[in-house]
Amino acid sequence: MASTPRRLKRSGLTMPIVTPRFINNAWHRGCDFINMDLEDSVPPNLKDVARNLVRESIPVVNKGGSDAVCRINHDLMEADLNAAIWPGITQVNYPKAEYGHEIERMDEIITRLEAERGIRPGTVEIGANIETAVGVANAYEIVTASARVMDFGGAAGYDMSRDLGVEMFVSFDQFVYGKGEVELAARAAGREPHAAPFTPNITGSVSDPDRAFAEADAARKCGFRIGGGLHPAVVEPQIRGFASSDDEISDAQWVLQEYRKLARTGTTWVQIDVSTVDREGSPRPMGADSYLGRHRVIDRYEASRAEELLQWRDLCRERDEEKAEAVARVRASEAE
Amino acid sequence: MTIPAKVRRSWLVTPVSQPERVSAAPSAGADVIVLDLAEFVAESDKPAARESLRDCLFPAKSTGAEVFVQIDPELMLADLSAAVWPGLDGIVVTRAETAEQIMAVDAIISDLESRRGLSPGSVALALNLETALGNHNGFEVSTASSRTCCLSLGRADLVMDLRPEPSGEIHLMQYLMQRLVTLASATGTVPLGAWWRFPDRGLHATPENTLEAALRGRAIGFKGSFCVLDNQVRPLNEGFTPSESEVAAAHGLCEAYASATASGTFTVLCVDDRVLTPDIARQAANTVAFSEACSTRDRFKIAAVDGVPIPVP
Repeated sequence: MASTPRRLKRSGLTMPIVTPRFINNAWHRGCDFINMDLEDSVPPNLKDVARNLVRESIPVVNKGGSDAVCRINHDLMEADLNAAIWPGITQVNYPKAEYGHEIERMDEIITRLEAERGIRPGTVEIGANIETAVGVANAYEIVTASARVMDFGGAAGYDMSRDLGVEMFVSFDQFVYGKGEVELAARAAGREPHAAPFTPNITGSVSDPDRAFAEADAARKCGFRIGGGLHPAVVEPQIRGFASSDDEISDAQWVLQEYRKLARTGTTWVQIDVSTVDREGSPRPMGADSYLGRHRVIDRYEASRAEELLQWRDLCRERDEEKAEAVARVRASEAE
Repeated sequence: MTIPAKVRRSWLVTPVSQPERVSAAPSAGADVIVLDLAEFVAESDKPAARESLRDCLFPAKSTGAEVFVQIDPELMLADLSAAVWPGLDGIVVTRAETAEQIMAVDAIISDLESRRGLSPGSVALALNLETALGNHNGFEVSTASSRTCCLSLGRADLVMDLRPEPSGEIHLMQYLMQRLVTLASATGTVPLGAWWRFPDRGLHATPENTLEAALRGRAIGFKGSFCVLDNQVRPLNEGFTPSESEVAAAHGLCEAYASATASGTFTVLCVDDRVLTPDIARQAANTVAFSEACSTRDRFKIAAVDGVPIPVP
């Protein structure tokens, strides 16, 4: 499979493809991806109509630089894939994944359609979402069924709650076991886990920007990189929440500087009380009252995290510039 | 509660490349000293560390500790060749991931045992399931060798890059800890670990936080834990030893059960408004027995310091 550059998925809107005002306005929302839905937001009598809209909607949603992705129906997989796999589609989201053979079948169909429709082999990734107990039980089999599964998560949310017969919006984490199984499977298979630390949510609001920021901020600090939502009001807070702050960037540079010093000594770790470090100039550690704490250990693990943080900063910056330029091009051509 | 065959509450990991740490380790009072070749030894220092290891084994046991050597499975042949000598009690395998890997470790140890005059099967294995794959393969990994006595998550928080959640819990660790304790019980091995929270990382914590982590860890089934600093040993020993009040309560349950069953055929009794069943009585007896084993272990270590050798309990 051809290697593709890492695709950022900090924020994305899932919207019914049969609602033109959503699709036509999505391009300037600033999303990393736009998830054109054929599944739960499309009523059964409109599924055929919806399928016929995917191909023409791809250039509409990605003219502002967002990736065009499509969520298909679990029970209509073949017909939906046939409608969705066109040049410009970067990912197909597969809900209620339950067995490895489903993903193998998807891979076969996508491989054929890529070849028939002039798409470079391996371009289209699969987002497999676990939403049932059967899917939890088969998590590793599902994530390893195709190298295209680059986005793997779930075991929470509306459908999982229904499957288990539990209330979704509560103040505690009712999905510890299932989410753990799915995340462990993703990590064991070397795929990016689509997960986030638990944050209490008892309102169920889909448009609360403060909550969207808090969730993305907690996810970023835990090392997670994938977001998404249903309402335009959450896009900007998610992008902001997944962005490393200037203080974190300076801190990462400080960690790497200290690690280089350490490496010359032959010892493998050192603990530094950051309250005793001169915090003038740069790079400098985050303060003793920051979420990283006062007593900081410098070792290869912290150095690795710091390197990842700086790479992430660069990726985010490049992606934001790419989208801003795309939006500016559209605005300029509309003005002419 | 399953009674561990041996009392191993505190496992002090000591880099072999730091002679001053190796010399100081016996006085910390650990049940097990883990001479490390893997995690805390710089690559450039590893050849010299392996050279010096054999001479560290008996001195490390001078205060009654058992001695394990911690190896890197990617370097298993060199590390095991340096470690398997008379005096060695066991091997800690970092980043244990597959059954094949553990079978290879087992075979090398068997060969070295026979060539170097150790009793066959005398070298035990403690496996650190620190990677996602190792945890995923946990059952196969932990049953790959009959030498395996203990399982732990090692420094999974660092190896798997698991970071603190807003609650202070380390992401995914509650799931992984319960999974490991269950796995250990299913495979007849002893689960090692403590319930660390932010700001603790990589087995590194203050003595106060170490005690808290040990008490929480024992409550969910762990029987002992690794640590990296001398001052963590005492809190681990304390946290993993049943408290006096627990032991007194357990004695009370044992006596109540014994006297009731002696006088009748009760299987479910009420004592102080609590249910007492045969299993609860058995658990209380286990607490008493484990407490006594801890005392015996501590007396053995004191005797070793005093130069009065007694058999390892």
